[in-house]
Amino acid sequence: MKKPHLPAALRALAMIKPKQRLTAQYLLSLLIAVTLAFLVGAGIMLLCGYDPIVCYTALFKGALGKPRAFGNTLAKTATLCLTGLAMSIAAKAGIFNVGGEGQLYFGGLAAAVVGARLIGAPAWVIIACALLAAVLAGGLYAWVPGVLKVKLKVDEVVTTILLNSAAIYFCSYLANGPLKTAEKGISSGTDSIAASFSPLIRLSNLNGSIFVAGVAALLIWYLMTRSTAGFEMKITGTNPRFAKCGGIRADRLMIWGMVLSGMLCGLVGMTEVFGIHKRFITNLSAGYYFDGMLVAMIMRYQPFGVIVMSFFFAVLTIGGSAMELSAGISSEVILIVQAVIIFFMAAEGGIRQSFSAWAARRRVRREAAL
Amino acid sequence: MSEIFNLLLLQNTLRTATPVVLCALGCLMTERAGFMNIGVEGMMLMGAFFAVLGSYLYGSWVMGLVFVTVLGMLLGLFYYVFSVTFKSDEFVIGVALNILAGGLTVFLLRTLFGVKGSFSGPGIVPLPTLTFPWLERIPVLGTILSGNSLLVYVSWLLVFLCWLLLYKTPLGFHLRASGEAPEALRASGVNPNRMKLLASVLCGVLASLSGAHLSLGYLTMFSENMSASRGFVAVACVIFGGGNPPRVFLAALLFGFIDALGIRLQRFIPSDLTSMAPYVVTVVMMVVVVLLKRRKKKTQEER
Repeated sequence: MKKPHLPAALRALAMIKPKQRLTAQYLLSLLIAVTLAFLVGAGIMLLCGYDPIVCYTALFKGALGKPRAFGNTLAKTATLCLTGLAMSIAAKAGIFNVGGEGQLYFGGLAAAVVGARLIGAPAWVIIACALLAAVLAGGLYAWVPGVLKVKLKVDEVVTTILLNSAAIYFCSYLANGPLKTAEKGISSGTDSIAASFSPLIRLSNLNGSIFVAGVAALLIWYLMTRSTAGFEMKITGTNPRFAKCGGIRADRLMIWGMVLSGMLCGLVGMTEVFGIHKRFITNLSAGYYFDGMLVAMIMRYQPFGVIVMSFFFAVLTIGGSAMELSAGISSEVILIVQAVIIFFMAAEGGIRQSFSAWAARRRVRREAAL
Repeated sequence: MSEIFNLLLLQNTLRTATPVVLCALGCLMTERAGFMNIGVEGMMLMGAFFAVLGSYLYGSWVMGLVFVTVLGMLLGLFYYVFSVTFKSDEFVIGVALNILAGGLTVFLLRTLFGVKGSFSGPGIVPLPTLTFPWLERIPVLGTILSGNSLLVYVSWLLVFLCWLLLYKTPLGFHLRASGEAPEALRASGVNPNRMKLLASVLCGVLASLSGAHLSLGYLTMFSENMSASRGFVAVACVIFGGGNPPRVFLAALLFGFIDALGIRLQRFIPSDLTSMAPYVVTVVMMVVVVLLKRRKKKTQEER
């Protein structure tokens, strides 16, 4: 099939909205927002009678201090990065996937089932098959709301959110019922898998899956920023009618954006199963997709920014639990800090506008007074 | 069979549907004023927490409701400031609000009460249940309608009031206009943003009240993430109720019926499957509504 060709002028017209770019000004705002959020966090700590400096020191030490802690942070970065990219690729194509949690569960379950059945095969065959199964399961589960959105105009935000709960309950039913392991001492979970990723740092969560995650992240980054398909997706997300006029099959790209997003989430489920738990367990993910989603939103769905921001958020998350252990403050304070960053960044343009309007009004008034 | 399908099932339906009804009414207000609110889930969760807090601190359910109402107003104002004044993405703000609610309630639960997971105790005063002796004398209706928690009756009243407000008063007309044709409204001398502020505050109060029903009416405790996606179900109800209060009410009742039926079926079917049912049915309903609308449109065009 010949690729649809866009005249240069049309391409220039479809340049992404300025809102979607990471400008220097935006990054400055981000720095201010992070500082403000840390101050809000410090205020809460003071109110509860903790010393903010002690808490924050414990946080950064807990995330980066020891090789084991650093390994955990890196592993968390990989998870956040993949889920963040999953959100980004769908959002860039103009469709919101809020159902990554469900796709993650299905991916993990499919990988665990395949991994437990292929006993005796070489490790790389098992891992490859499980990877394929996870990606297929995640992609299929994302395909449903994608098609519903494109063909029937059923709001994808609501359907994906509801499908999350459905998937989590269904997987939990399978892991407690038909697929429950016969092993003793496992309350709910499937049979243990025949091969797994080997850990890279002793006692940490960092394992071989980080290479898989790295390759996937690179592929997505290439697809989104360097390929024709990525460019067409961007146009579709910005202005679907314009995309159709330019000969882009917008409907199909939207569905593909959703499916790719689901595939990435399935992959995350697989790395959780093969890297950490060695079997499917009913609480496989603690809202990992939502964390990644936030990272993607803050960085305006820019792949490179998502990768960098993932590391920062991983430090906060891993350091948060360390802080709870050593400084005694509940780690949820970090969730509040993260939410504050998002509020400020979402309102960044509006706040800046109101501020400059206020400054202009003041200037006019002063000139009138003179 | 008669153990499952009896009058108590209908009463349970009303009870489980109430948080969704209240939340959906709130969501409906912002929907009609032209901006979606995904954050109702978080508002419900915070409402549930602060209702327990108020009731526990002052030993009275009235203070619980006062806490919730004030909280709801503040949340509505907050949502308005961010999504209308600062023109940020409603979706992002809504999601962030949900995250904030999840973090804040757990944080406060641990710092104020020093417990993990859930908080219950004799100190929490639940909402009163109302019994009507004259109603109980009617054989079937009496069992279903009498002896419910206060907010169940309030929610019915609110469905009527919301309908009255939206369709029978000038204020409601302006509110709807602020969503459908803000420019026309501005031309007629009314500031559409005022209407949006009103809608947002109403939404905050209603969504928080739904949380109060969860933690003081339906149960007498607060547990982490107790709203369990009911806010999202409410958003779905608004969509397939077409933004009309009575129809949204019916949609929420349907959800409540499936939820209540699921709890009763747990003796025969694994509980995971019954918990899954309401969400699946909601998604299917959303698809069916679209298909029906499409068919209606087609037949109209053929005529």
